[in-house]
Amino acid sequence: MIQISFILNGKKVKLETDENRRLIDILREDFSLTGTKEGCSIGECGACTIIMNKLAVNSCLVLAGQLIDSEILTIEGVSENGKLNVLQENFLKYGAVQCGYCTPGMIMSIYALLLKNNNPADEEIKEAIAGNLCRCTGYKQIIDAARATADTDMITDLSQ
Amino acid sequence: MKNFKYIQPKSLSEVKKYFSDNHSVLYAGGTDVLGLVKKEVYNYENMIDLKSVPDLDKVEEVKGKGLKIGALVKISEIAESEIIKNKYTALSDAAQKVASPQIRNMATLGGNICQRPRCWYYRDDYACLRKDGDYCYAEEGENKYHAVIGGSPCFIVHPSDTAVALMALDAVFNIFDGNAEREVPISEFFVQPDEDVYLENILKPYEVLTSVFIPEQKNKVSRFIKFAERDVWDFAMASVAVKVEKNGNKITGGKIILGGVAPIPWYDEKINKGISGLTLDEKSIDEFSKLALQDAEPLSKNGYKITLARNLIKMILSEI
Amino acid sequence: MSTKFIKSKFWVEDIKEEMMAEVPISVVEPWQKDKELKYVGKPESRKDAYDKVSGTAEYTFDKSFSQIAVAKTLRSPYPNAVIKKIDVSEAIKNKNVLGILTPDNCKDNDWYSGTSKLLDKKVRYNGDEIACIVAETEQDAEEALRLIKIEYEILPHVTDLEKAKLDTAAKINDHELKPREYNRGNLEEGLKEADIIVEDKFSTSVAVHNPLEPHCSVVKWDGEKLLVFDSTQGIWAVRDTVASQLGIPASNVRVIKKYMGGGFGGKLECGKYTVMAALLSKKIGRPVKIVLDRKEMNQAVGNRPSSVQELKIGAKKDGSITAISHNAYGTAGAFPGSAGCSWPARSLYKCPNMKLVDTTYYINAGKDRPFRAPGHVQGTFAFESIIDEAAEKLGMDPIEFRVKNFTAVDPDWNGPYTSKLLREAYIAGADKIRWKENRKKAGFGGGIVKTGYGMASQIWWGGGAPPSYAILKLNWDGSAELVSGTQDIGTGTYTILAQIVAEVLEIPTRKINVVLGDTGVCPFGAMSGGSMTAPSVGPAARDAAEKMLSKLKSAAAAILELSEDKLEYSEGVFSSKDDRSKTADFSKLFGHFREGVLVTQGAREANPEGYAINTFGAQFAKVDVNTLTGKVCVKHVVAAHDIGRVLNRKTLNNQFHGGIMMGLGFALLEERVIDNYTGKLLTTNLLDYKLPTIIETPEIDVIIVSEEDNKVNNIGAKGIGEPAMIPTAGAIANAVYNAIGVRIKDLPITPDKVLNALASKNN
Repeated sequence: MIQISFILNGKKVKLETDENRRLIDILREDFSLTGTKEGCSIGECGACTIIMNKLAVNSCLVLAGQLIDSEILTIEGVSENGKLNVLQENFLKYGAVQCGYCTPGMIMSIYALLLKNNNPADEEIKEAIAGNLCRCTGYKQIIDAARATADTDMITDLSQ
Repeated sequence: MKNFKYIQPKSLSEVKKYFSDNHSVLYAGGTDVLGLVKKEVYNYENMIDLKSVPDLDKVEEVKGKGLKIGALVKISEIAESEIIKNKYTALSDAAQKVASPQIRNMATLGGNICQRPRCWYYRDDYACLRKDGDYCYAEEGENKYHAVIGGSPCFIVHPSDTAVALMALDAVFNIFDGNAEREVPISEFFVQPDEDVYLENILKPYEVLTSVFIPEQKNKVSRFIKFAERDVWDFAMASVAVKVEKNGNKITGGKIILGGVAPIPWYDEKINKGISGLTLDEKSIDEFSKLALQDAEPLSKNGYKITLARNLIKMILSEI
Repeated sequence: MSTKFIKSKFWVEDIKEEMMAEVPISVVEPWQKDKELKYVGKPESRKDAYDKVSGTAEYTFDKSFSQIAVAKTLRSPYPNAVIKKIDVSEAIKNKNVLGILTPDNCKDNDWYSGTSKLLDKKVRYNGDEIACIVAETEQDAEEALRLIKIEYEILPHVTDLEKAKLDTAAKINDHELKPREYNRGNLEEGLKEADIIVEDKFSTSVAVHNPLEPHCSVVKWDGEKLLVFDSTQGIWAVRDTVASQLGIPASNVRVIKKYMGGGFGGKLECGKYTVMAALLSKKIGRPVKIVLDRKEMNQAVGNRPSSVQELKIGAKKDGSITAISHNAYGTAGAFPGSAGCSWPARSLYKCPNMKLVDTTYYINAGKDRPFRAPGHVQGTFAFESIIDEAAEKLGMDPIEFRVKNFTAVDPDWNGPYTSKLLREAYIAGADKIRWKENRKKAGFGGGIVKTGYGMASQIWWGGGAPPSYAILKLNWDGSAELVSGTQDIGTGTYTILAQIVAEVLEIPTRKINVVLGDTGVCPFGAMSGGSMTAPSVGPAARDAAEKMLSKLKSAAAAILELSEDKLEYSEGVFSSKDDRSKTADFSKLFGHFREGVLVTQGAREANPEGYAINTFGAQFAKVDVNTLTGKVCVKHVVAAHDIGRVLNRKTLNNQFHGGIMMGLGFALLEERVIDNYTGKLLTTNLLDYKLPTIIETPEIDVIIVSEEDNKVNNIGAKGIGEPAMIPTAGAIANAVYNAIGVRIKDLPITPDKVLNALASKNN
C-alpha cells in the first residue's frame, strides 16, 4: 500500500491504495469521477486524458505513486455548479459530440492547450488533440469548437 | 496488473540496493514500463521511481561546451525548448515526433532512449529470443516493421526517435553505476542482438542514465525527419538524423544516422564516408543516397525500407 | 383495430427479410416538399450533449453496484486445439475467487449456429473462450485465470486465406459454407458483345470495429429477474439470447442501454460475455461486471471479412456495359458467416448479363460480424475501381461512363425506385471539387508530391421497415415523453425523435424527453444498424404524435362544443376558426381529464408496394501522394448523397464525417494482421491496429441533393450511417491511381505498397 495526497479538482485529497493502481482507477473507483473514460488502457486512445500539473496526460499511464503532490483536473472539475464552461458549450453548439465517449478526453486536451496558449493556431489545436482518437464523428467539428473557444479567450484555470 | 512496490529513493546511490535480484526496474515517466508490465512482458516486484531523486530533470547550458539535459526532462519540454530548437534542431525535431502529446507530457528523455522494442511478437505472448525463447518470429513472419540491417538473430528496430538525433549530434551519456558516474559516448551505448539479444544497450539493470550531454554544434546545422504510417502516435518505418557543416553548397563534414531500420540507431559507413565533400544539388544527392544501406538484407516484407530510408536522406539533404 | 399485419419485405445487412409486421391501417401522409418545417431538418444540438460534455453521461462501462464482482475470460492461446483436461483446482483456491464457468457448465449452451458452445472444448481460434472466472477484483480474476491448468491437443491450423482454399486445408468447421451465385442474362454472350473487356483482381484486409467504449455488460439478479446493462445496438437481441441461453422467460430479462460509445455493427449481437456474466452472477448471488480489453475486442467480437475479388467487365464502344463477372472469396473466421461482397456489382449500374459468385472460407480466426455496410465497403472499392479501368480503356470520363450506365429501375427486377438522385449527386459533387478543371490524366505531372482526383458511387438500402413502435405520453403541462425500444448509439436518435414529435405537436424539443433502450418499458424498436433506425422509428414517432394530435383535437372539440373541422391548432392551443376567443390550451384540456397524461402508440407504416428503396451517393476525393515516402494524404472529400429528407443537419454531419473517416481508415491504415505460423493475432491494440487521427482528417464537404423522398415513409427520410462510408475507399483508391498512374489493388494502401508499386512501374 502507498499513501498519497494530491489536489483533485481544487481540493486536497488523501488516500492509501495499492501501488499498482492507476490514476484512472482512483478517479473512477475511489472518487466516482466516471467522466474520465477508459478505451485502451495503455495510452493509445486518449479517452482517459486529464490534466496533471497543467499538462494533458493519459490517466491510464499514471501510477498512484506518481500522484504525490500533484494537481489533477478532470472533466468534472472544468465546469462549476453544473454550468458548462465555454469550451463545453461550444462542443454543443458546433456539434462536436457523437457517441461522446471520447469527448471528455478531447475537452481536457483542448483545455490544457488553452491554459497554456489562449490564441492557438489551427495546427496547434490539431496537434493538441492528435493523441485523442474518435471513431464516430471525425474531427472537424471538434476543431471548430476549440477554435471558437480560443477566439472567446474565456478559459480560466479552475484548479488554482 | 500484478501488484508491485513503488519505491522512491532519495538519492542515486540508494538505487542499486533494490537490484539485488532482477525483479526491479527503473521508472521515469513510466509510459513504456507500465505498458510492459500491464501486458505481462515482464513482472517486476519493484518500481524504482527516479522522480524522487533530485536534479535529474534539469536542462543546463554549459557555456562554450554544450548542453546537459537531465534524463528526467520531459520530451514535451525538449520539444518546446528554444535553445534546443535553435542549436540542436535534430533533437527538437525528434522530440516533437515522439508518440502523442499526452505521452510527451509524461515520457522522459532517459526513458525514450532506454525504452524497449515495439516488435509485436516481443510485446505479446510469444516466447521470442529477446524473452529467452529460441526463435525470432519476425524473421519469417510479419516483418514489415522490422530491421533490414544488423538484425540477426533478432530483428527488432530501435524504437527511439531521440536516440537517432542524439547519435547524429555525438551526444555523451552520463551513467551512474551505483558508486560513480562515467561518461559513455552514444556510439558505444547501444547493443546489437548478435552481442546481446536481451538488452538494447550497455546499461546494467541498476545503472542509471542520469543525463545526456550534447557538445556545442558550432557552425553545424542538424535536422531529423521521421516517417511513419500515421503522422502521430506511431513508430518510425524509417527516420534520418543529419548534422552537417557547409561551405556554400558543399558539405564539409557531418554525420547521418538512420532510425527504424536496425536494432540500434544505425551508422552507415558508406554514407558517412561520403558525406564530406557532397555538393547539395539534386543529382549528387540522388547518387549519394544510393550509398545507404547497400549491405542491407531485407526480410520478406520490409524491402521498401531501403528505398524509404534513401528517399528520406534525399528529402532531408535537399532541405538542409 | 388501428393496425394490421402485412407481409413486410426489406433488405437488411445483405439479407432479404420477409416477415409479417404490424403496421398502422391509416397511414400518415409525408410532409409535402414545400411545407416549412419548424423543427425537423433544423440543426438542433443533441439532446444528450450536456451529459456527454459534462462527463455525467453514464455508459454501461460506468455502471456499478455495491457488492459488484468482476469477471474475466480465459481465451485460447492456440488457433486450433482440443482441450483434453482442465484443472481449476489452483485457480479457485484464492478466497477472492467467487465462481468459475468451464465447458462442463455449458453443454446446453449452443453458439454460432450450433457449431460451438458458449464455452467449448474445441477451440478454433486464438481468443476462443475457454473459461470465465468471477472474483472480487479484476486483478483477482486475472491471477486466477493464470492458475487454470489446461492440457491441449494442438491441431494443425490455417489462418492464410489462400491456404484455406486448398482441399488439403485443415478442417475447421463441419458446417458447410456454400458459395452464393447470382446470374442475370448470359455472361458469355455479354462478353462476346463487348468491344472492350477489362479484367483485374482486388483484395481487402480484415478490418475490426474498435469502438472506443469496450464491449461490456453489467448484470444483476433480483430473485428470478435479471437486469442487464449492455453496450449494445440491439437490446431485444440481447434479451432474447440471454433468456434462451439461461432457459428463463424473456419477460424475466430486462436489458437497458442508455449511453454507448460506438458500435458500428460489432455490438449488434448478444456477446458470449453477457451470458457468462449472467450465469456467474446467478451462481454467486452478486452483481457482475464484465469488460473486454482491447486485445479481446480485436480477437473475439467480430470483424469485416477479407475479400479477394476477381472482376471482369465488358462494354461497348459507346460505353454501355454488356457483362459483369465478379468472383469473390474471403473469410469470415472459424464459424458460419459470410464474406459476400458482390452487391454493388449487382445493383449499381444497368447491365443485362452477369455472373456473381461469393465464396466464404473458414480460417482459424474470430468470426465476422456486420460492420458498417457489410460487403458493400469492400465490394464498392473493387467494383468502382474496375469501372474506372473500363472508363479509361474506353477513353471516357469516369462520371460520363457511370451516367451512361445509370439505371432508373432496380436492375434485378425492374421496379422503380422511390427516388434516385444519383446523377444529381454526380453533378453536385463534381462541381464542388471542380472535377473538370482539376482532374488530369492518370500519372500526369512531375514533382515529388503528385495530386490525384477520384470518385466512387454508392448504393445501399436504408429505407427502414416495420416493425417499430413508439409510445407517446403527453403531460398536463405540455411536456411529452417518447418511448421506443430502439437505441441511440451516438447517432442522434434521441434528438431526431424529439424533433419529429415537436414538429407535429408544435412544442419545443426541450419539453420532450426521449426514452430508448430499455426492454422493460419500451415497445419494440428497430436495432441500431443497417441505416435502419431513423427511417424505421422516426415514422413510428410521427404516427404516435399525429395520433396524439387527433386525440387532443377530439377532446378540444368536445370541451369547446365545436365540431373538429372548426378547430385549428397552433403551438399547444386549439382555437375556433370562426371565433378566436374560443380557445383551449393543454392546461384547459387536461383540466377536464381525470388523468394528467395522455398516451398514444404509433407504428411504422408498411413500405410502399412495387418500389425499390435505396440510398445513393457519390464521393469525390483529392489526394496527394508523396512519391518518396509512399504516403497518401487525403486532402479533400466531397460527399454528395440522396438520402431523402435531412432530419438534423448537425447529427447528419457527424455521421458523414465519421463514415468518411472510417472509410479513409479502411482505405489507408486499418488491417488485422495474424501471424500465420502461430495462428495468433498481432494487431491487438490501437497502436498496431491503426485508426485515423485528426492529422489524417481532410477537408470534408457534405452535400445532400435530396429534399425528401415522399414515397419511402411518413418522414421522407432514409438512413445515412452506411451510405456515408461506402464509397470513400473506392474514391480514394481511384484518386491514388489518378495521381501516380499505377493502381494499388490491395487495401489498405500503405506506404510500402505505394513504394513497391512505384518501383515496379519505373522498371
